Amino acid sequence: MKLAALIVLLVGCSEHAPRPPAIRFLHTFGAEETEVFNATMRERGIAVEPALVPFARGQQVINDILRAHTDCPDLIRLDATWLAGLVGGGLLMPPPTALVELDWAPEAAELAQLQGAWWGLPQSVDGLVVLRERDTPAPASPALADLMTATRAARSEVRRYPLGMRVDGYWFVPWLRDAGGEIAAEGIAGDGAVHAMTQLAALFGDVAPPPPTAGGEEPDELRRWNAHEIAYWITGPWMLGKLSDRAAIAVSALAHAPRGGHLLVVPRCARHPDDGWRLAGELTSLAVEAKLAEAFAMVPTRRMAIDSAPELLRMTYEALRSANTLPRVPVTPLLFDDLNPALAAVVAGDATAEEAIAGVRRGWQRLTQVAPARPGSAP
Amino acid sequence: MTAARPTASLRWRVLVVLALAALVPTVTVGVLAIMRARNDVEREVDRGALAHIRALGVALDITLQDARRTVELAAATWADAAGDARQTQLLLRRLRRDVPIVHGLAILDPAGQRVQGDPVPPNLDVGSHSFGGYIGDAEFVGGRPVVHLVVQARGRTGELLGVFVAELELGFVRDLLSEARLGAGARVMVVDGSGVPVAASDDLRGVPSEAWAQPARSLAGRDPAVDRALASTVEGTLAVDGRVTAYRNLSSFQSRRGVRWSILHQQPEREAYALARDTTRDTLIIGGAALALALALGAFFATRLTRPLAALARHADAIASGSPDDPPPVRGPGEIGLLGQRIDEMARRIAERAELQAALARGDRLASVGVMSAQVAHEINNPLTTVLGYAKLLQEGKPEGHPDREALELIASEAERMKTIVGGLLEYARVPRTGGVPPATTGPVRCDPAAVLRHVGALLEPQLRRTKAVLSIDVAATAPIAIEAHALEQVVVNLAQNAAQAMAGINLEGGALAIAARPAPGGIATLITVTDDGPGVPPEDRARVFDPFFTTKSADAGTGLGLAVCKHLVTTAGGTIEVGDGPGGRGAEFRVVLPNAT
Repeated sequence: MKLAALIVLLVGCSEHAPRPPAIRFLHTFGAEETEVFNATMRERGIAVEPALVPFARGQQVINDILRAHTDCPDLIRLDATWLAGLVGGGLLMPPPTALVELDWAPEAAELAQLQGAWWGLPQSVDGLVVLRERDTPAPASPALADLMTATRAARSEVRRYPLGMRVDGYWFVPWLRDAGGEIAAEGIAGDGAVHAMTQLAALFGDVAPPPPTAGGEEPDELRRWNAHEIAYWITGPWMLGKLSDRAAIAVSALAHAPRGGHLLVVPRCARHPDDGWRLAGELTSLAVEAKLAEAFAMVPTRRMAIDSAPELLRMTYEALRSANTLPRVPVTPLLFDDLNPALAAVVAGDATAEEAIAGVRRGWQRLTQVAPARPGSAP
Repeated sequence: MTAARPTASLRWRVLVVLALAALVPTVTVGVLAIMRARNDVEREVDRGALAHIRALGVALDITLQDARRTVELAAATWADAAGDARQTQLLLRRLRRDVPIVHGLAILDPAGQRVQGDPVPPNLDVGSHSFGGYIGDAEFVGGRPVVHLVVQARGRTGELLGVFVAELELGFVRDLLSEARLGAGARVMVVDGSGVPVAASDDLRGVPSEAWAQPARSLAGRDPAVDRALASTVEGTLAVDGRVTAYRNLSSFQSRRGVRWSILHQQPEREAYALARDTTRDTLIIGGAALALALALGAFFATRLTRPLAALARHADAIASGSPDDPPPVRGPGEIGLLGQRIDEMARRIAERAELQAALARGDRLASVGVMSAQVAHEINNPLTTVLGYAKLLQEGKPEGHPDREALELIASEAERMKTIVGGLLEYARVPRTGGVPPATTGPVRCDPAAVLRHVGALLEPQLRRTKAVLSIDVAATAPIAIEAHALEQVVVNLAQNAAQAMAGINLEGGALAIAARPAPGGIATLITVTDDGPGVPPEDRARVFDPFFTTKSADAGTGLGLAVCKHLVTTAGGTIEVGDGPGGRGAEFRVVLPNAT
């Protein structure tokens, strides 16, 4: 009798209990990350209505959604370089103090702040580091010169191209900084850009393999690494998750490397901002950070999570501590639109470094003169 | 009633056991078959639907990628000679001609201003932070679903010189879906990255394209399958709201290579799992029929199995109740028949035991009587001899015709008669009680029945001649038997004299008196029969004819001790004696079975 009453009660409750609204979450996770995220939310019983945006269109789509004030998510995961543009547009709300006061790693906390003010929670830290197999000698120092010396020493019949890297403006940053330059809000600062690009482009076909066709970079890198053709691989933590034998990998710092990461932000147009921050807190909880660290070698952002992370991730985090963030201004991510094809043109031999850098300067001048309220859009 | 209840219970129990034996495997196999069929069908439905939308997705993607690569090549070509207006015109014309899905085409300058071609939407993003261009989200222009392909045109040095914007009409999606061969009630739908339907197969039949392509509301948050598709980066299936949905998110991490959209194949569960339902129905029908048949057969076999058991029970009841009517033997298959035989055997042994016990009790009683009779006879014998002697002495002293002589003769004859009775009593009491073995004899007791019977024939001949009975002796080859020869002789003579007297009693002349000996069934004993044509022994007397002093003769013709002595001799020799009807129901037959000597 009691059992029947209990069943009736439960059925009644289940029919009439209000279901909590699903938290609307817009993210730029990759395919595997998305599925792990979905599974994690199911495991933890959190009702989430996620929508993914391809990373390459993330800034556009997020800007469109937030400015339209329709279909506004409660939480967004975005690249840290996009933060300045969104804050500048007044599109984000600051996180609750309780979340800000968590044990964030300084490098992670820096990503979530602009001029000392918090605008989100750091979800991952990344940047460029140098991977090598443990039995490969470490470069004498993080300096590019020592890396090149080690690379040339590692050259062999099997390792004809012992250096792994991409024809990408992000990889250009260490060489630019090494030459005394910097990606700056107003363009390329310093006079070393041409020298840096010349140096960098010369590595392809010498110690680095000729670049594959566009879009084939990642498979080419993975194939070469798995074939042990690469002795030193300049890449980011995002590739660690794709490698199988992580215990055999050593990580070291790269001088002048850029550092970035991903943030969780709540837009001002969110219908349920508290739910958004609750989900952000969940995604940066020690349990979830540990899970993502285990699954994808995603570098955690909480001190305790870093301390308990696998050795490979602790090494990666240590290597990234010496890296520096890119300028925290809205135009920064747009600058690479011109830098990437310019570098590709030089590497391909279609243009000289002088010609390419001149074109980049013109492009950046146009971008900074427009100073768009909506980055990248036609006036 | 008391006997029927357990039999009925057994029948039901057997029926229940058979029913369970049929029910359990039938239900188990049926449930397994239904589950297996359901799982197989679900898996195949999922696989089929996924394969379908995978193929559709590939077809959609190929069309888009062809357009993208063509426009990219054109943009790169244009960038190398950006100032040539005539070449630009030619290029745009060729693009429109060679890429059928290009509906609108424009060239913008790096700042986003249109320099040539068709109008473009305001605030169109010219490819910032999109790695050289992108394919935008689906949108509706004039009721037509379109996407904008944006390709940055960069020169030799990588510098941005312009932007190609192509409006790609998504009518080909509709055309592709319309050609899809779908199952009953199935539909295929393509939604953009916001969940807005771009095209659906079931909107196409007979409906003008302008009508179906009106901007629709997003299905996000309203259709769980769409939510699942938008949230995922892979493919999967979902059964909800009575529909089976297979979804595949076609969004690419590199948006330049694809559109943010998902493709869904939806079918009502009723149609999707029709095969499983049919299989379930067929399984239930066949299983039910098999079960009913099994139960019917079970009932039949249960009845058939328990019927002989019920007969056995009745048989046992009859035996237990001592019914005078011999129940018919129970026939049954296998163990049941064997059990019937065993019960018959048991009943026979019980009857024998009871008879033996009664005989023993009677024997004890008779033994006591015998001892007492012997003592009395012994005490009487001496004075009786004196009485007889003096009666004869006095008789001899009387002349013929003396008035006392008749009385003295009567005294003497009666005294003779009393001596005969006393002699019989002494003879009865003199028979040893254990096996007919005289105490002084050592070694095994054995005799040749043929010799004994021949001697008996010689002894009986004078008497039989008087009674005009015809004696026949038939001795088959028999083994020596375990009884003293004189005891056997006494038994047979007694039985033969009784037979002759019985035939004479009815004034039968030429009656047959047959004495036979032959091996008993089993070969361990010898059967001796004494058969006559006399009046026989009535059934009601057969149990008492072997009692001492029981006789049907006149008082002066028998003492009633002859058959008692016979039985005593036979039973003490380990044999049996019984009386029945003679051959053909005429006369009497005494059957003596004596064990063979070892």
